[in-house]
Amino acid sequence: MNVLFKSLGALTLLAVSSWANAFDLQQLSEQLAKPDVIHGQFTQEKHLRALPQPLISKGSFVLAKNHGLLWLLKTPLQQDYRITANGIARRDANGWQLLPNKSAGAEQNRLFLAVLQGDSSGLQRDFELALSGTAQQWQLTLTPRSMLLKQVFQQINIDGGALVQTIELLETQGDSTLLRMQDSTAEQPLSEAEQHDFAE
Amino acid sequence: MTLPSERKLPWLFLSLLLAVVVLAAWQWRDGAPLSANLMELVPGTNPDALELRAEQRMQEPLNREMLVLVGHADRQQALTMAQQLGEQWQASGLFETVQWNLQADLPALRKQLLQGRLAMLSADDRQLLSKHPDAFIQQRVQALFDPFNGFTLVPSQDDWLGLTGRIQNSQPKHGAVQLDIGSGALVADADGKSWVMLRARTTGNAFDMNLPLQVADLLQHSREQAAKGDVQLLAASGLLYAANGQQQATREMTWVGGGATVGILLLLLLAFRRWGVLLAFVPVLVGMLFGAVACVALFGHMHVMTLVLGSSLIGVAVDYPLHYLSKSWSLKPWRSWPALRLTLPGLTLSLITSVIGYLALAWTPFPALTQIAVFSAAGLLGAYLSAVCLLPALLKNVELRPAQWPLRLAERLIHLREALLGCIRTPALLALLIAFCVGGLMQLQSKNDIRQWVGAPQHLTDEAQTIARITGFQPTSQFFLIRAANQEQLLERQAALSERLQQLVNLDKLQGYLALDQLVSAPSQQQQVRESLNRLPSVWQPLLDLGVPVAALQNELQQLQTLPAEDIDAALAGPLGEPYRTLWLGPTEDGVAAITSLQGLNNPSLLRVQALDLPGVVLVDRLGDLNKVFAATQISAAELKLASCVLIVLVLMLPFGLTGALRIVALPLLAALCSLASLGWLGQPLTLFSLFGLLLVTAISVDYAILMREQVGGAAVSLLGTLLAAVTTWLSFGLLAVSSTPAVSNFGLSVSLGLAFSFMLAPWAGRHEPVAEPAA
Repeated sequence: MNVLFKSLGALTLLAVSSWANAFDLQQLSEQLAKPDVIHGQFTQEKHLRALPQPLISKGSFVLAKNHGLLWLLKTPLQQDYRITANGIARRDANGWQLLPNKSAGAEQNRLFLAVLQGDSSGLQRDFELALSGTAQQWQLTLTPRSMLLKQVFQQINIDGGALVQTIELLETQGDSTLLRMQDSTAEQPLSEAEQHDFAE
Repeated sequence: MTLPSERKLPWLFLSLLLAVVVLAAWQWRDGAPLSANLMELVPGTNPDALELRAEQRMQEPLNREMLVLVGHADRQQALTMAQQLGEQWQASGLFETVQWNLQADLPALRKQLLQGRLAMLSADDRQLLSKHPDAFIQQRVQALFDPFNGFTLVPSQDDWLGLTGRIQNSQPKHGAVQLDIGSGALVADADGKSWVMLRARTTGNAFDMNLPLQVADLLQHSREQAAKGDVQLLAASGLLYAANGQQQATREMTWVGGGATVGILLLLLLAFRRWGVLLAFVPVLVGMLFGAVACVALFGHMHVMTLVLGSSLIGVAVDYPLHYLSKSWSLKPWRSWPALRLTLPGLTLSLITSVIGYLALAWTPFPALTQIAVFSAAGLLGAYLSAVCLLPALLKNVELRPAQWPLRLAERLIHLREALLGCIRTPALLALLIAFCVGGLMQLQSKNDIRQWVGAPQHLTDEAQTIARITGFQPTSQFFLIRAANQEQLLERQAALSERLQQLVNLDKLQGYLALDQLVSAPSQQQQVRESLNRLPSVWQPLLDLGVPVAALQNELQQLQTLPAEDIDAALAGPLGEPYRTLWLGPTEDGVAAITSLQGLNNPSLLRVQALDLPGVVLVDRLGDLNKVFAATQISAAELKLASCVLIVLVLMLPFGLTGALRIVALPLLAALCSLASLGWLGQPLTLFSLFGLLLVTAISVDYAILMREQVGGAAVSLLGTLLAAVTTWLSFGLLAVSSTPAVSNFGLSVSLGLAFSFMLAPWAGRHEPVAEPAA
């Protein structure tokens, strides 16, 4: 009897640990942090409750591990954004203009970078994280912890494989934003122009 | 030996004393009637009730609130500690509110933003809307696509034109402090650490006697607790300064009072070698009692600074018994009543002159000095009465056989002086002295600053500066007061001022400002916004292109047109109004009034210029005004000094005649001049307090001149009496020089110098000296 129970217990432990081993946050973080530079295209769909069709915009992005993010909106209007440790900047005729620090906005951008770079430790502070799937096809669900965030976001869903593929922000008020990252590649290094954009 | 009147006197005095003790007990029935409010001590510079109200409004948070930064390299650890401290402090019962995170009421915020779409739009946005409506629409289209726009509180379908987003973004920034949206805490990053802001508001204010000390203790305890987790606390509050001031006052009172007492008792024992002589301290105790009772009776309470400065009364009060005790070197055998009879005229004169000197202080516009003057004058009267009525009876059976060394010392001093006069004649000495005075006076510099009143310790000011650097909050004591006939005019005036202040901000001359017009615009401007909005349909095609239904836009415009004009009270009621609420003074006798508060170090004269041609706008700069009053008071103090001298001459003319009186008064004046010169030679500034000190010295040292003039018991005995009196007085005043409050220490230094010179010059008051008139 005793021996049977013990071996049963050992088996259960094994099963649990191998199940937990399947694909965890640690591995996801490592996987997403691997590439130094990611180039890709994006489509943003903004679903506003009162609009019959979403506001769709398209463009390309460059995510560089040690620099930040370039977000180049092409249609329906052209506008370049840059997020770095210094904050968020917008390009106008005179070059990059650092936008005045809006306290809540700055914090949101930090989240945005954390999501793209798979910085789960940065996300875990503010959200409950639930990960499912495999390294090739995973889903991460973020549910806000604090009362304040709950009043803004209902949930954030992130899907991906080697890289992040879609990000869906569900706002408490009913609007939602869907970001699709397509043709992402980690093969290309930063071009000279891109290096210049980050350096400026 | 004892006259019948002298048998009755002690009993009469004892009944008076009993009455005073009963009065004192009644005054102290609800605890010590002490106050520590610095502002009670400085002169009221303006009789303007509204300015006073505005000032109190601005002062209030300083005296009730504490700002703490909880810092750690790891933000989460800092947040955890802030939360922990917040809970502990809330439970301490010392605070009304403790706030470390913002529990934003988003529905209320949304409501206020929607309601204030016309009234709360910033001046820049209003201008864009009226001058470049096409750009206004273009920016809105951009914002709708902008993924980094930050979340807007109001959903797009309730605000297609994006007015609430603009209002949200134009709110004045909280310095370098950012909202941590996870926890709702306000956090600033600096020096490699995250600093979480914790704000606490106490139940009472900084001038409650116990609260500041309790708050300081709690903070100290929290600091130690935080240090265990490697968390650093930075704190700033008027309460901490008050706690420090109280501790310092207590410490100094113990030092000055205790030091003077021990020193004087030792001196008495060494000189008279009888335990009974310690009874000479009775007049001191009675004097303190009389002083305190008179002070509380007249002012309702006593300030701690009065106690500190008043403790120097010990040295003056003990002079009365010394007057006749010192006669034991010449009167053999010495008996108390006959000795008193011999010295009574001198004693009485010295009481009158000292009281005149002290009361001269009462006419300065400084409540602090008025209190000290009343305390001292009443104290001296009490000391005199007990020295005259009670002490001789107590000393009736004491036979004094004083030590001979003090007399020998005095004789040696007299010989020395005669030897000196043998070499250099008095006129030559006087010339030398005058040269010394001229040289010193030329180097004398005047300096007056309210900061001399506060011995603010370096660590507190350093911490406050660090907090200002990290958070970007740098509240200043100056502010603008704006008066107007009605709200419309008030907002217009405030907006005109804001426009100028913004230019200073752009030039980096000012860090920031807060004014009501940043929250709500005047009704006429709200009407202009309404009109500008009406012109939008001709340019809003880009929004329609995105798919926004034209009906939705028209509906929104319709809503905006019917939005009622918002007034100041309505705007302040919402959550966004919170930081502005202190600024609104509301209805006044002749209209309404508000404050524009300022941030960051700035130049008062530059600020004053801004208000010059703006009607109804004045800069309130209490510290600057006070410093001006200080300088003006210096002159009136000098006049008072001369007036008190004239009065003393009049009193002294009765016993000494005009020449004698002039000489007796001229010596202390010369001594005061010498002290001034010494300050110059020492590189010490002349402050209002050194001047007050010298004013006092004149009063006290007239006493020495009288003693030397009367020469009861010979020159050596008189000099010895003067020496004893000067040393005891110096023991109490001189110790004030060690105070860490610049004002008190300056006072002590100038009195010490004055006493030294008075003693040195006193022998020239003697009748048989062939001296030139020093006042010539």
